[in-house]
Amino acid sequence: MASKFWSNQADSETESEVSDTEQDDVSEQEDATNAPDRNKYLDTGDSDSDDSDSHKRVIKSAKDKRFEELSTTIDQMKNAMKINDWVSLQESFDKINRQLEKVMRVTESDRAPNNYIKALVMLEDFLNQAMANKEAKKKMSSSNAKALNAMRQKLKKNNKQYEDLINKCRENPESFEDQEEAEEPSEDEDDDDEDESGSEIDDITKAEPESDDTDDEDDEDKDVNQPGWERKLSKKDKLMEKQFKDPNQVTWDTVNKKFKEVVAARGRKGTGRLELVEQLTFLTKVAKTPAQKLEILFSVVSAQFDVNPGLSGHMPINVWKKCVQNMLVILDILEQYPNILVDDTVEPDENETQKGTDYTDTIRIWGNLAAFLEKIDVEFFKSLQCIDPHTREYVERLQDEPLFFVLAQNVQAYLERVGDHKAAAKVALKLVELVYYKPQEVYGAMRNLADQSEVDDGEESGTESKGGPLAPFVNVPEIVPRKPSFPTSSRELMDNLVSLIYKHGDERTKARAMLCDIYHHAILDEFSMARDLLLMSHLQDSVQHMDISTQILFNRSMAQLGLSAFRAGLITEGHGCLSELYSGGRVKELLAQGVSQSRYHEKTPEQERLERRRQMPYHMHINLELLESVHLICAMLLEVPNMAANSHDARRKVISKTLRRLLEISDRQTFTGPPENVRDHVMAATRALSKGDFQTSFDVINSLDVWKLLKNRETVLAMIKNKINEEALRTYLFTYSASYETLKLEQLAKMFDLSESQTHSVVSKMMINEELHASWDQPTQCIVFHEVEHSRLQALAFQLTEKLSVLAESNERAIEARLGGGGLESLSSRRREGQDYAAVAGGNKWQDNQSYTQGRQQSGYGGGRPYGPGQNYQNRTSQSRGGYQSTRYQDSAGAGRNYGGSAARGGQMDGSNRMVSLNRGARA
Amino acid sequence: MAMSKYDLTPRIAPNLDRHLVFPLLEFTQERQLYPNDQILKAKIELLNNTNMVDYAMDIHKSLYHTEDVPQDMVDRRVEVVARLKSLEEAAAPLVTFLQNPNAVQELRADKQYNLQMLNERYQIGTEQIEALYQYAKFQFECGNYSGAADYLYQYRALCTNAERSLSALWGKLAAEILMQNWDIALDELSRLKEIIDSKNFASSLNQVQSRIWLMHWSLFIFFNHDNGRTQIIDLFNQDKYLNAIQTNAPHLLRYLATAFIVNKKRRPQFKEFIKVIQQEQHSFSDPITEFLACVYVNFDFDGAQKKMKECEDVIMNDPFLGKRVEESNYTVVPLKDEFLENARLFIFETYCRIHERIDMGVLAEKLNLNYEDAERWILNLIRTSKLDAKINTQTGTVVMEPIHPNVYEQLIDHTKGLSGRTYKLVSQLMEHGQAQAAR
Repeated sequence: MASKFWSNQADSETESEVSDTEQDDVSEQEDATNAPDRNKYLDTGDSDSDDSDSHKRVIKSAKDKRFEELSTTIDQMKNAMKINDWVSLQESFDKINRQLEKVMRVTESDRAPNNYIKALVMLEDFLNQAMANKEAKKKMSSSNAKALNAMRQKLKKNNKQYEDLINKCRENPESFEDQEEAEEPSEDEDDDDEDESGSEIDDITKAEPESDDTDDEDDEDKDVNQPGWERKLSKKDKLMEKQFKDPNQVTWDTVNKKFKEVVAARGRKGTGRLELVEQLTFLTKVAKTPAQKLEILFSVVSAQFDVNPGLSGHMPINVWKKCVQNMLVILDILEQYPNILVDDTVEPDENETQKGTDYTDTIRIWGNLAAFLEKIDVEFFKSLQCIDPHTREYVERLQDEPLFFVLAQNVQAYLERVGDHKAAAKVALKLVELVYYKPQEVYGAMRNLADQSEVDDGEESGTESKGGPLAPFVNVPEIVPRKPSFPTSSRELMDNLVSLIYKHGDERTKARAMLCDIYHHAILDEFSMARDLLLMSHLQDSVQHMDISTQILFNRSMAQLGLSAFRAGLITEGHGCLSELYSGGRVKELLAQGVSQSRYHEKTPEQERLERRRQMPYHMHINLELLESVHLICAMLLEVPNMAANSHDARRKVISKTLRRLLEISDRQTFTGPPENVRDHVMAATRALSKGDFQTSFDVINSLDVWKLLKNRETVLAMIKNKINEEALRTYLFTYSASYETLKLEQLAKMFDLSESQTHSVVSKMMINEELHASWDQPTQCIVFHEVEHSRLQALAFQLTEKLSVLAESNERAIEARLGGGGLESLSSRRREGQDYAAVAGGNKWQDNQSYTQGRQQSGYGGGRPYGPGQNYQNRTSQSRGGYQSTRYQDSAGAGRNYGGSAARGGQMDGSNRMVSLNRGARA
Repeated sequence: MAMSKYDLTPRIAPNLDRHLVFPLLEFTQERQLYPNDQILKAKIELLNNTNMVDYAMDIHKSLYHTEDVPQDMVDRRVEVVARLKSLEEAAAPLVTFLQNPNAVQELRADKQYNLQMLNERYQIGTEQIEALYQYAKFQFECGNYSGAADYLYQYRALCTNAERSLSALWGKLAAEILMQNWDIALDELSRLKEIIDSKNFASSLNQVQSRIWLMHWSLFIFFNHDNGRTQIIDLFNQDKYLNAIQTNAPHLLRYLATAFIVNKKRRPQFKEFIKVIQQEQHSFSDPITEFLACVYVNFDFDGAQKKMKECEDVIMNDPFLGKRVEESNYTVVPLKDEFLENARLFIFETYCRIHERIDMGVLAEKLNLNYEDAERWILNLIRTSKLDAKINTQTGTVVMEPIHPNVYEQLIDHTKGLSGRTYKLVSQLMEHGQAQAAR
């Protein structure tokens, strides 16, 4: 029958080649029976009955080469046996198995070459012999003995696959000799040789007891069906394949039965995970209805998730890629058969999948696309965490990003079409998280990469489209796009996704999207936008209660916000954003960019593992040096004049504790060397600045090499220079105002290299704020200083009154605590402050318990409402872009939170020096 | 066009009723901020969805200088008239009832009773009441505001549907504004505000939107009503409303800023407002807000002076601020003079705070006055003891009296509050103790 089958096919193909129009029904049918398998293995070369001379010649030489390699390896093995060298024997064995795969591929036969089988027999014999010889075994070197044992295991496993052939070989070795001969000439012949070798194999395989179909058919089918990796399949799988070899005989029931069987084996002991995936993958190819195919594909994907068992490692990358491809196929099916619904809430009917393509009502299949996608994302993330960022592998892995991107986009489009907006929002969040940390340049690079890969894809699909008409098996054309579509600017993309999420997402999704949005605005130098978003979302209040990864995201956003403020020249704001991050000295941990060792308490291995799992992949890191230098420079610019202003009472007002501490440490040093790291630089600059030497100060800062990381380096440095000059002027005035009676504007401006108007503005501001007791003498353009030094007694009296008011306040607070809220409207603002501090304390406790939080960070930064006139933003939900509907919305929160506006604001002013506030600029 | 640079009409109009936009367009037409044709076209556009077809026809004629009107306008007119007839009929029973003073006296304060009574004795049910609403709305759209206002008032007395009642109130407010009944409009405004603040909106977004509409509509009232300038601050500067401004309508800051400048009574809130302006610099700025930023944030007095000149333009070209008043033979813009006077004072005040001696010439220049006027102006200030200074005519300078806060005064200030606070604390404690004992 085989020959008939083949000749028939050859006929039909030649026919169709001669004239397409003449194709009759028969030939079409014939084509159809072969097509599905053929086009799946196109990459292994075209089917053998394709006669084109040049094509064949290529194969021939390749075949020869492979066979030669195989036989040389066998020779090597023989040599190794002679000297009893098991180590090299083991190596050769591995090599031969690899070569075997190649040979199989070029010969397109599923049967192992005879010389390979012979080698196996020989090896087995030799092994048994060696094992039997106990004394010789003892004499072996340890490595040799080890290799022997390993070899035994391997061989046992390997030989199982070829048991039949080996037995056959043992029975009559001559036939194998013959065959070797026959194999050689067959290569020179054209396609007919397949028939011959086939009939030869018939002889051998006659012994196969379990084949219930005729043997020749069997082999024919396998010929076509054979991919390289199936070599590794166990006998059982082969059995399975045999069941499905004839497309016409496969029914839905058989596939379903087999599917149930395979799925039942999942998770059982002794079931190889990869094996399971392969079995299922095979089943997808023979599925009878789209629904069934879908069902099996879902199982394949979830089986692929299982391939890597542990939590710590990541899914092998090739499996990941296959998984993504499978997901795309799932989407193809869903796209093609819109009546199929994916649902994970109801357990579908047993025989739901029996309904075929012609069935028009809805078919329900169990599955959850969004969850799968999230899992794929997690695996991608994990793989990036694990791979060493300095290797090529990491870069290659990063290049898979567009692959994930396209999948996510397709899933999102599908979910939106189905109307599952909630899940679509989740998927959109995954996309957002892929993009938000990318500045425009990086985003552009990703776009280009995606464009390039599309060109490759195009070629591939071009070849695949030759595949031919559909088979009885379900074959799905690629419907969903395989290429991600990127808008030109990342902002545009973010806006689209984010507004979708705000509309449909749940709380957590929205919060995360909001943070990503803030981050992205910040890196695009849109500080005010980012700040407004943060303030109106009230995330700083609620983020404490969120999961840790969201908290990390919050910290990252804050860091970026700080950098952005700094680039915009908003020093106070920048410092406000960053100082909390640095207050605990655990910035690495807070940003999840490395593990910081704490001197004071050890972490349990469990905690360490948890922390490692939270780490950001390298490409998402925020440069810590830049962050630190920005933070310290901000602190310096604020703190130096502040120290000068309060020189008599240094402890009173401290803006940056971190800087003060560092300064103390560096003061304690006997000798100060030239600056090395960021801290040294800023310390040197600080010392210079406090002496009024703005030029040195700037030079030191300028010599930091982090500035090259900035895009608009020149403007930022100019800004720093300007700020340093201004602050030097202020410091100078604070320090020496007592020594002057008048000071000329012109002179002052020249002294600090500032324009006169700027000097005037700075000095005026100091006068208005009563930092400087002086006034202008307009006709002469002079500053006239007033003598307002307090006498010792007066100063003490002031201190006393201050202490008194602190006492009164603490009394109030104590009573407040006892009586609970209620009454005393005048105290409300202070009361709130008290609560904020309480919140800080609470945050700390939590931190200790859980070893990781940034409770302090949140409560310190947000601290309830001290974040500037944050209240003003309570209503800002209704941004034109759809806004972020916070649960903490002022109006809906009821009267409890509606305190009188001016009182609250006054309260904020009172505390503004102790709390972080982005909006302290105008004290006018 | 330079003059239209600071024109807010395009930003304000979307937040107004169609009919309310007409006064704005009239104003821009009068000031010739835009080409006349454009304005006329805009007017026709605006009228398309109203029932004021006759008016639209007139504009069409003047725009294209023809006597013909397009057919669709004629058709529309027929349609409108027909619809008016049918609505009139539907509402007739109730209207006749309401026009009968004797019958109206039967109505009581109790809404349920009224409804029942109407239903039983006059066969007037919910349908007729609904018809009244539709009729009133139609009247409004035809430009018959007074009729619409009356009907809406009566409708509100009878209506049970809260939503409908609210929109009737909006209609009433619009009608009153268009009739320029500022006192009544103000009443309606505060009524509407109460409802918006207390009502539970489906989404907070709607609430914010309503507030924004309310504020836009209120501009008509506040800049025409005598007491409006205080009230605009009271309304806009409320937290919720300020939030709404910052969120969705930062251009309203102009009006709030102007109100703050011309109004001396609301100084305490002023400093807070400066902060808001600073915060919103990136989303909205015009000469008026920039002026405040110059004086109070940057202490850039030259800049402030420049801005002051620009402010004049802005005020003249703003439909709300630039309201004209005929006075004997010439028209004045009262707000402009007031604004300039106060702005001058602002500059001067701040300037004096940081100076000890100022040259009169420079001062006059900064204040946008000539030397004599400046001297007179300062003299007045000194005389009314608003300014603690002396003029030295020999050197041509003003010399400020140094203001050194007395140390002891400061000490007393610091401690003054303490006893009060302690006293309060004790009384609270006592109260609490009594409450405990009583229990």
